Amino acid sequence: MANSMKVAIKPDWDEIETVRGQASQFLEQRGLSTNVVKSMVMVLSELVENSIKYGSFPHPDSTVDICLEVGPRIITTEVSNAVDEACLRHLQNLDRMIQWVRGYQDPFEAYVERLEEVAKRPLHDEESGLGIVRIAYEGKVLLDFFVNEDDLLTVSAVRNLT
Amino acid sequence: MVKPKVYSSNLLSIDVHEDESTITAEWKGKSIEREPHKFITPILVREIKKCSDRDKRLILDFRRLEYMNSSTITPIIKILERAKRGTTRITVRYDQAQKWQELIFSALTIFTTKDDRVELVG
Repeated sequence: MANSMKVAIKPDWDEIETVRGQASQFLEQRGLSTNVVKSMVMVLSELVENSIKYGSFPHPDSTVDICLEVGPRIITTEVSNAVDEACLRHLQNLDRMIQWVRGYQDPFEAYVERLEEVAKRPLHDEESGLGIVRIAYEGKVLLDFFVNEDDLLTVSAVRNLT
Repeated sequence: MVKPKVYSSNLLSIDVHEDESTITAEWKGKSIEREPHKFITPILVREIKKCSDRDKRLILDFRRLEYMNSSTITPIIKILERAKRGTTRITVRYDQAQKWQELIFSALTIFTTKDDRVELVG
């Protein structure tokens, strides 16, 4: 049985639920607990949501690339998409948020602080602002990202199974 | 007894029913919309207004919710924050046995009040 699942999807919101189903089935078949499966599917879908919201998809065949890998001790999720200059603000926010969450020994504290901050924003303010910190707290993952020479952004989330 | 109302958007439905002392908004399915606040916020604002007019408690019952994206959490906590600073009585009910619900909702204790006017029941 393969230990990785690789999928390329159109940057279409309706694709997310399909990928969630595929990822859930893939993880269940590898004998992971319901809690781990649910939390990793949440991580994956939040990352794909961000990718669709903030990525650059200039061509009709542009995709969001997803890789889910189960190792003996870790599960890794990687979500990749093209970026351009218009994505710079998002990349800066992503970098700032990941560094900020890492500054907390317990991601729960970061999550609570973020909840307090976001809750005070105007009722009709559209930005969620909770995705990354939720991934770190509820998903129990370590987050990282890099942009390669072809302007491909990859965000990775690694969960320890031990 | 007021006839229950069902609001649906994609895979999420919110069933609102009312009795003598409470209005309950029961969440079912999955909240996966890109901008869930457009669906959720008007419902919550409307039901809070009704509770205020009729002197009732609003119960937000998430026990049958299977999943929500982080964009769904935002309108909920904004409503709780406003309730905490106001006079609305709100109960957030969740299923402690579901790990994801326990993680998400137990953190909402920051919005509860000492007099249980805004309370969390897991």
